[in-house]
Amino acid sequence: MIYGDRKTGILVQGATGKQGEFHIGLMNAYAQQVGGRGVVAGVTPGKGGQQVHGVPVFNTVKDAMKEHDIGAAVIFVPAGAAADAIMEEANAGIRTIVCITEHIPVQDTMKAIAYARMEGASVIGPNCPGLLSPGEVKMGIMPAGLFSHGNVGVISRSGTLTYEVVDELTRAGIGQSTVVGIGGDPVIGQTFVDVLERFENDPQTKAVVLIGEVGGNLEEEGAKSTDLPIVSYIAGVSAPPDKRMGHAGAIVEGGEGDARSKIARLKKHGVPVASRVSEIPDMVRELFRCHC
Amino acid sequence: MKLREYEAKNVLREAGIPVPAGFLIRSADELTPHLGALGTAFVLKAQVDVGGRGKAGGILMAGKADGTKVAKELFGKLIKGLPVKEVLAEQKLDIQHEYYLSIMVDRSSKQPLILFTEAGGVEIEITAREHPELIKKVVANPLMKDLPPFMIRELIGKAPKEIGPVINRLYKIFIEKDALLAEINPLVTTPNGVFAADAKIIVDDNALGRQGITMNRDLSEREREAEKHGFSYVELDGAIGVIGNGAGLTMATLDLIEYYGGKAANFLDVGGGAESERVMNAVRLVASVPSVKVIVVNLLGGITKCDEVAKGIIAAGISQKVIVRLAGTNEAEGRKLLSEKGYEMLDTMDLVVKKAVQVTA
Repeated sequence: MIYGDRKTGILVQGATGKQGEFHIGLMNAYAQQVGGRGVVAGVTPGKGGQQVHGVPVFNTVKDAMKEHDIGAAVIFVPAGAAADAIMEEANAGIRTIVCITEHIPVQDTMKAIAYARMEGASVIGPNCPGLLSPGEVKMGIMPAGLFSHGNVGVISRSGTLTYEVVDELTRAGIGQSTVVGIGGDPVIGQTFVDVLERFENDPQTKAVVLIGEVGGNLEEEGAKSTDLPIVSYIAGVSAPPDKRMGHAGAIVEGGEGDARSKIARLKKHGVPVASRVSEIPDMVRELFRCHC
Repeated sequence: MKLREYEAKNVLREAGIPVPAGFLIRSADELTPHLGALGTAFVLKAQVDVGGRGKAGGILMAGKADGTKVAKELFGKLIKGLPVKEVLAEQKLDIQHEYYLSIMVDRSSKQPLILFTEAGGVEIEITAREHPELIKKVVANPLMKDLPPFMIRELIGKAPKEIGPVINRLYKIFIEKDALLAEINPLVTTPNGVFAADAKIIVDDNALGRQGITMNRDLSEREREAEKHGFSYVELDGAIGVIGNGAGLTMATLDLIEYYGGKAANFLDVGGGAESERVMNAVRLVASVPSVKVIVVNLLGGITKCDEVAKGIIAAGISQKVIVRLAGTNEAEGRKLLSEKGYEMLDTMDLVVKKAVQVTA
């Protein structure tokens, strides 16, 4: 596993909100199932002293850290407060921060991620479903029932499409080591390159499914950065041409950042790219045949 | 949302970046009072929300004598299909040299990226392709309010020093206006100093509220209606309506339609955790487009519950055929409700899409 395991104590920021409360319940149900610690503390300013599903709530992250051994945080606060939550957690010394919140202005995200980097923290997201290592830990909102334990890592920019891929893999008898949703925003903390580096150092992970989308070139950067065998799928082949980012996008990203040119660049680099999600399991099996 | 040129130039002017003297007019007659200030030769620029308007005939030269006639001509045009409702009448600059300056959100470094080249103007993308070494790039730290002078020195090189303050002011605009892109092309030198001859600012849609922008002009009327419900919605030109949850899954469904040789009419992402009323609204919205012959619903229930989806589909009561693929939370209950009402359900996204393509073929 990467980012955390059964022993990781999780803090939830935005614990008393509707989403926070709902997902503390689900994360701790999963922790109970696998014998993990799960969510040990919640934070909502002004709600210190309350409990959510038996989890104590604190006013600040530092207050929670004083009383609990915390290794990771999951953020459910509204968009206007999310960048602040990332920085509070990084400042308090949490090293893995998962930000589920969507619609955060990108200027806020850039600042929060730059600050987290200074503090030595890794941010997953924002606008992501979090991560799940089957049999170990769930940090976020992924539906645990679809997952199975194994040695294929999954990295994805999207949410439900990830579940679709995981569902296909599980039905085909291919288990997962860790599934990470890195988020769909233009600026995200952990990119394909960062997660692939973790997978390289993870003895459990033998191959990786990389699920990308139209826009940017982070998928290609990731594929170039690793020796792990990869199967990729890129969504958005039929998407209408994006509103172009002036000339700067074309200058920096080379070409139009569209799905077809992205797929061509991945294939040129020797990465097999599935045309349909349902092709992924067979292509993963093919990888194992080549590399075993 | 992309600001129009005159809006972007107002932002620049307020920040102390020189822009040519200009006046916004909404009819040819409105030009008359400004003829004195514009001088003997000036430029009329259509303010339409579309790129490449120059090559499409949206920028015309005019003079004191023929100004009103040229303006009438421009107001009568369609630029890439869009009517001209606003024109920026602008002083013609005595251009000595054209530079290119741009600040964008860089996905790769996760920081603002500043680009500058002495080879600016309309051919900037050719320069980028053939002489990338001519484009200087600097990555800024988003936690800094000003660019440090060394970064500005690195960018401008041998270009005139008066460009330095323009770069720093544009950087402040980029931060303060929640821009995804702030671009001046060309940035020109004239005997009277430096001017931003054209400007492009794209404001982050997630920051429109705090920027005091109440309506996103980049969206069509139906897209805005969808936005009110919290849906992402895009219109295309086929016959299959698509409803999914999550951008990635919805996009993958569209790709699959293309793979099997069909064409989508529109697609709608209901988002996570949709309850029956939201699903009903989504189905009705997608069905309201006349070209939609069949609707594919592809939902993977995580926090979305399949029985809620089923209730929503049934409540929508639309006339078009609906083909459903439901998986995940409360799947059995959802399937039962739909099968009682005779809806067609298939097990995988491949199967529903194939079926929809057959129906429309």
